[in-house]
Amino acid sequence: MTLLLGASTVGLILALLALGVYLSFRIFNFPDITADGSITLGAAVTASLLILNWPPALATLAGFFAGVLAGTVTGLLNAKFRINGLLSGILVMTALYSINLHVMGKSNLPLLEETTLVTQSESVFGMLFGPGDVGVFGWEVNQRDAAALCLAAAMVAGVGMILYLFFRTEFGTAMRAAGDNPQMIRALGGSVDFILIFGLAVSNGLIALSGSLLAQYQGFADVQMGIGMVVWGLASVIIGEALVGSKSTGIVITGAIMGSLLFRLIVAIALRWGLDPNDLKLITAVFVFLALVVPGALAGLRSRAGRAR
Amino acid sequence: MLEVSGIGKTFHAGTPNEVFALRDVSFNLLEGSFLIIIGTNGSGKSTLLNAVAGTFPLDRGTVSLSGHDMTKWPEHRRAKLIGRVFQNPYSGTAPNMTIAENLAMAARRGLHRGLAWAIPRTLRSELRDRVRTLNMGLEDRLDNDIGTLSGGQRQALTLLMASWLKPDLLLLDEHTAALDPKSADQVIRLTHEIIKRDKLTTLMVTHSMQQAVRLGDRLIMMHRGSILHDIQGAEKARARPEDLLQRFEDVRRREQLDAPVAEMLRNTYV
Repeated sequence: MTLLLGASTVGLILALLALGVYLSFRIFNFPDITADGSITLGAAVTASLLILNWPPALATLAGFFAGVLAGTVTGLLNAKFRINGLLSGILVMTALYSINLHVMGKSNLPLLEETTLVTQSESVFGMLFGPGDVGVFGWEVNQRDAAALCLAAAMVAGVGMILYLFFRTEFGTAMRAAGDNPQMIRALGGSVDFILIFGLAVSNGLIALSGSLLAQYQGFADVQMGIGMVVWGLASVIIGEALVGSKSTGIVITGAIMGSLLFRLIVAIALRWGLDPNDLKLITAVFVFLALVVPGALAGLRSRAGRAR
Repeated sequence: MLEVSGIGKTFHAGTPNEVFALRDVSFNLLEGSFLIIIGTNGSGKSTLLNAVAGTFPLDRGTVSLSGHDMTKWPEHRRAKLIGRVFQNPYSGTAPNMTIAENLAMAARRGLHRGLAWAIPRTLRSELRDRVRTLNMGLEDRLDNDIGTLSGGQRQALTLLMASWLKPDLLLLDEHTAALDPKSADQVIRLTHEIIKRDKLTTLMVTHSMQQAVRLGDRLIMMHRGSILHDIQGAEKARARPEDLLQRFEDVRRREQLDAPVAEMLRNTYV
């Protein structure tokens, strides 16, 4: 049970990453690799500030805005300096590696003694339900695990809701249109450059927020924690799309969250069955490859079968 | 109204592929006039339209509209004054968004886009009413993705979008060239109606001599990046497709093009 609970919590925290990746990859069709750096950046900034005894909420917010800044730089490189999107992301991601080391001062920052959002929600939980384990559907659940899960769920629900509402505003529709048909939105008076920069800023802000929460949940920030996270987020988005099978914004947002949750659970179970953790990223990459290729191949087979008939 | 003076544009300057797309083109357009632009492929007619729309920076000259010198304005800023319909029916609309969402964006052309709802209730009924005027039955499909519609339907909607807020200038870039004849007729009829109703100042590029004589009150023939003929008033009203073809023929003779090319022109344009 603890295993499932932990996996769900991480899945929900990484759902914020998935939402960020959805924004760049799906809305803008922009392969933004900055994510690998900005998730660590969020963790690094929050962890460093927590050690300086900042209030956890402010430290988390600062992590978010650090990501916003990183995304803005990637957007500027692409929109203003006309550097290829993939390369813009790689440049910022590479630069962030050094920046993250500077922010943290060393390659790993433990947070075991600090007050974090997780320890805070644990004490709120303690006040609400009294000390000791919490009973959920007949299972005894460690208070910290339950509190962290609720925290992550609340954050993801809040962010998902805000994102959904945002996409229904004038600016939000313009953003979707900028990804769908930039020529059209330009002809209707929207600056595609500005919209892209803003979108990448929000995307990386969400990814950094994900990193910030992850560090607080795990109890440490590590300079290596971002490696392969883009692919992880993409895998979640793809699973989500397969789960909901719709293009409607609200449903896709829900799908990405569910996808992240499900992917993390599958991974947790696979690890439990003896999957070598070192193979995890390889398997994730292969999975994304298959998810990108198989639907097209199936459609090809189907149409060939149709012709044969 | 629209003042184009001495504009020039060379693509791929200094390379073997150098193209003098526009050479010192100047003309003024009065408010409410409807200018048709014709010319052979590569004559610079679409480039002229794009120069006015601000798709690329000019090498020389200035473009001003309604008293604003727009020469340095980026495309999206010019959109405040200009409505556009492209040749490709897929260029003017966002395919994975609904009809209502596309129209709602057009209702804010050139205006600030903030955090207000994109489709407030009051706008919805207006959308319905104005889409009904197209007579395509689309008013009941406002929540369908626009990508599910035919090219003709999308082009009609793009026209509606370009003129939703009355533009100071409407740019039509061969906007029926990619449509089947029946849809093309329908879109041309709609174009005529909208321009007449709103008294829009219009620049329209066309390949069709029929459209060129039937529509507009002034006609410019472009050739090799320059204006070759500029007729208006009674002379424009008298013009017949044969006259226009004769002018292409003259150009051909002057440049000693092959007869097969002229034959091809005839087949393409009539």
